[in-house]
Amino acid sequence: MSFREKTAWISLVSTAGIYAFYFWSVLHAAPSNPDGYVDGLLGAIVALVVVQMVLVVAVSAMTPRKEMTPRDEREELIDLKATRVAYAGLASSVAFACFFGAFDPPIIFGTNSLLFLLVAAEILRSGCQIIQYRRGG
Amino acid sequence: MGTIRNDIRRLRFEHGEMTQQQLAERIGVTRQTVNAIEQGKYSPSLEAAFRIAVVFGLPLEDVFHYSRD
Repeated sequence: MSFREKTAWISLVSTAGIYAFYFWSVLHAAPSNPDGYVDGLLGAIVALVVVQMVLVVAVSAMTPRKEMTPRDEREELIDLKATRVAYAGLASSVAFACFFGAFDPPIIFGTNSLLFLLVAAEILRSGCQIIQYRRGG
Repeated sequence: MGTIRNDIRRLRFEHGEMTQQQLAERIGVTRQTVNAIEQGKYSPSLEAAFRIAVVFGLPLEDVFHYSRD
């Protein structure tokens, strides 16, 4: 497995895991504390940055030096294809959410609906990268 | 759409059993990309294809072959 594929797995697993916990806590806390999601969101962002940094450093330390090369043309293409798929998913899901009023007040649901779509797009992007790395490009 | 085949695997062995990693380092890509090119899963850019041909000291058409399906 290449270094880029390992980092794509780190992004996928950490983003899905941390935001799954965040959205679960928001859904359970919303009725009693509608403004309490901001602290949770900041905590999720900090946790995501720390977890990803630690895992990427660990993977870098275990990867042979000769494999730590700059991104090549195939990896750039994989990144571009995955970003295109994620953008299409994000754009269509935002349009869908606007149509069905997912951003209506109260603000806790509007903000978190938008955040959920962004997180879903990022997970979709990492997933597409992994699939293409597995296929060979 | 046509198919692009290549003789990179054979050429590597004819050039001192060059490894995928050694070829990758000489053309500036990852070993996984060389493997994907060899297996026909990824078609390299024209520049990368020329670099591969230069490594083997051959014209491009002796390394890559295009056929219409």
